[in-house]
Amino acid sequence: MAQIKFKVNGKSTSVRVDPDTPLLWVLRDHLQLTGTKYSCGMGICGCCTVHLDGKATRSCITPVSAVAGKAVTTIEGLGKEGLHPLQKAWIDDDVPQCGYCQPGQIMTAAELLAEHPNPTDEEIDTAMDGALCRCGTYQRIRNAIHKAAKEL
Amino acid sequence: MSEKFHHIGKSLPRVDAPGKVSGLTRFITDMHFDSMVFAYPVVSPIAFGALDGVDISPARKMPGFLGAWFAGDIPGENQVGVILPDQPLFAQDKLRFVGDAIGIVAAETEVDAISAARSVKIDTTPREPILSINASKMATGKKIHENNIACEHRLERGDIQAGFADADVVVEADLVTPYQEHFYLEPQGCIVVPQGDAFTVYGSIQCVFYVQKAIAKVLGISFSKVRVIQTPTGGAFGGKEDIPSEMCARAAVAAWHLQRPVKMIYRRRDDVQWTSKRHPFQMHYKVGVSKTGKLLSADIILEENAGAYATLSSVVSYRATMQAMGPYAIPNIQVHSTSYYTNLPPTGAFRGFGSPQATFGHERMMDILADRLGMDPVEFRLKNILKPGQETQTGHALSTSVGAEATLLKSANAAEWQTDARPMVSKDGRYREALGVSVCHYGNCLGAAGWSMDGAGVKIQINRDGSIAVAFGLIEMGQGALTVVTQMTAEALGVNAERISILPTDTSQVPDSGPSVASRNIVMTGNAIRNAVEKLKPILSTAAAEAMECAPENVAFQNDQVVNTKSGNALSISALCEYLYVTNRPMDALGWWHVPALTYDAQTGRGEAYFTYSYATHIARVQVDTLTGQVRVQKVWAAHDVGKIINPAGLAGQVQGGVVQGAGWAIYENFGHDNAGRITTPNLSTYLLPTAADSVDVQAFWIEDPEPLGPWGAKGIGEPAIIPTAAAIANAVSRIVGQPMNQIPLTPERVLVAFEDKVVHE
Repeated sequence: MAQIKFKVNGKSTSVRVDPDTPLLWVLRDHLQLTGTKYSCGMGICGCCTVHLDGKATRSCITPVSAVAGKAVTTIEGLGKEGLHPLQKAWIDDDVPQCGYCQPGQIMTAAELLAEHPNPTDEEIDTAMDGALCRCGTYQRIRNAIHKAAKEL
Repeated sequence: MSEKFHHIGKSLPRVDAPGKVSGLTRFITDMHFDSMVFAYPVVSPIAFGALDGVDISPARKMPGFLGAWFAGDIPGENQVGVILPDQPLFAQDKLRFVGDAIGIVAAETEVDAISAARSVKIDTTPREPILSINASKMATGKKIHENNIACEHRLERGDIQAGFADADVVVEADLVTPYQEHFYLEPQGCIVVPQGDAFTVYGSIQCVFYVQKAIAKVLGISFSKVRVIQTPTGGAFGGKEDIPSEMCARAAVAAWHLQRPVKMIYRRRDDVQWTSKRHPFQMHYKVGVSKTGKLLSADIILEENAGAYATLSSVVSYRATMQAMGPYAIPNIQVHSTSYYTNLPPTGAFRGFGSPQATFGHERMMDILADRLGMDPVEFRLKNILKPGQETQTGHALSTSVGAEATLLKSANAAEWQTDARPMVSKDGRYREALGVSVCHYGNCLGAAGWSMDGAGVKIQINRDGSIAVAFGLIEMGQGALTVVTQMTAEALGVNAERISILPTDTSQVPDSGPSVASRNIVMTGNAIRNAVEKLKPILSTAAAEAMECAPENVAFQNDQVVNTKSGNALSISALCEYLYVTNRPMDALGWWHVPALTYDAQTGRGEAYFTYSYATHIARVQVDTLTGQVRVQKVWAAHDVGKIINPAGLAGQVQGGVVQGAGWAIYENFGHDNAGRITTPNLSTYLLPTAADSVDVQAFWIEDPEPLGPWGAKGIGEPAIIPTAAAIANAVSRIVGQPMNQIPLTPERVLVAFEDKVVHE
């Protein structure tokens, strides 16, 4: 067990856990931030994506010890004032179907827009390639990213 | 139709989108109860053999261990077979697949429950497993159940021998379609909360009524003691039709013994190893045509890998049999379908339910036949496509809402279909491109085989503040049910959509409405809404007339108001609702709709197999890299006859997603198992799903040929969205390679081998 301090959605927090515990389970079970999801458990599907100091990170394979002293942003903290433009575009374009992967999709897209404010289709496909959607909403995700890029 | 609609045909934004994009939607994994514990199944490590005993002493030593329960600890009946009673909740003597449940372990934490369940020692006497349709068919002494056949279906119409005698060309082919794993991104999960002798169950579930029945049987209690509430469901695609029954019943056994809430969420690799998949089919088609291109006769043999238990095989097989030759007029046909037990996970419902497999069969045959006749594939299909007044292969003359031809013409025009079958070749010779076409039909709802349970209900409750709550018996799983139920209720009542909230599906709200499958939500729930509103409208009109001091026939519901059409006076809906309350009037109604009686003969497979069909044509432009063998779908032109559009944006989303899932099955998803019956593709590093980079540009077109029995003329769309895609892709690749590609997935290896065969043959 170790005491680990980090920031989550702008607030300082401290948890006492096994340092190998994946960040995903610390967020979900200790901090009750359940918007970040478990799906494949191997860092492949992207459902567990959060930002670590602004970088999209797979929380299911990130030990919480690696987060000490850093800033984590989850889907609950993405919008600074209300919904983030990506979340608004997602609603406007009717993107979600089952919705389970969408927090991870949006977190992945938010990092893309932070680095490429006006991404091409190819840049979107490359950035989003590791965020899987079994409902197949990719076509709309791409459009919604373009739409949000115009708003930002 | 000249009728003016306020909500039907409009893209009401998805009502569940805000919660789903903000992370606030609470899925089952996000729910928690005081004193809750966790459970996990103990399962068979072998594919086939005898269970000699279990030793739970390693689990007892685990931290937080609370108990383990086996077949002898089940208070009621040890049986969860959904159609045939062939599946014990906990295996007692015979083990039939890797993942066959033996018992359930509970512990204080999730990790402890999983570790404890995995630590249980299981003594077995393994036998050599039966791992394919052919091995099951040939097995003499070895029987998985009393025999190795799970079910059979037959269809006989006309005289196939006479048909073949008249034919100028007769072609035979073997076709093979693989497993498909649902890979819903939300794993299976449930929470069972005991309350004395009653139980409330929450879960990611496609049919709350199946779960209610399963738990009542297993615990030996009445249905009234089991309440099942569906939680937002993170993908299902058929995979949560029957599996939640066994899962929730296992958790319920632990909850019964512990009298504490029990939560169970499957880990991914277990979910893949233990739960259902799309049935692999092997098919033999023999089809005869005249030299002018008229279909004359078909003799079709379908064989399905049912896995270890029958589960839903008989209805999957029924649908494939009834639709085996597609939406074409054919005078003579015989279909024989057999599902074989094997020592692999039970196969079951998967979007399309036997139709994508049968469509692969008939649509590959249509291309092979066109090729033999030297005829264009679209032209050949147009000569045979089902038209109003003609009989389906089961002898059902459909007079209305037969949009098959319109979908084919629409797609072909949009894709600028080229009759020249030669693929386009890139300048450097490496890339080749061609179009492929595929047409399908899909019987709406459960059909004659499931007619007795093909009813569904809604409860509309009017509150005195003017808000309206709707409970429905079917469910939202991503397909947009909540949104279209909102729209259809708003349309029927003549009120704004903002007044309407849809409640979580709950067995205590609406009578048994069956499963959300077979693309039946819009048809069933839409008609049930109209039935409920027929009951409510006279009450509302009488009250409004009284409040406005006018005759009830002068009352109209328009634009969220009640209007006296004579005087022009209006009353707000909120004021009317308050008036209903203070005058002590009924404020709710149950609506119900059942599919009308179908004339059908199960011996011959003739008659009204389904009351109506949806139709679709997909044309795919496909590119093959001759260097790597990789297949890429560049574009799909998808035309669907949906009867009447309810929500255009939701409809387009269904079709885009269906095409991506169909392309996955056709190209990437290469499911495998080893000689011991263990799945070798249990996670995403081995089972490849389509990604953003594989996304398909889908251009969708709608044919609105109204179905008189559909609400506002609408028919189902959820499944037709995926059904024709794989065959369209395989037909394009066959044209590119110049060889019949009769087996999917079209892996690079399979494509390169076909190219090589082509060279050898030439």
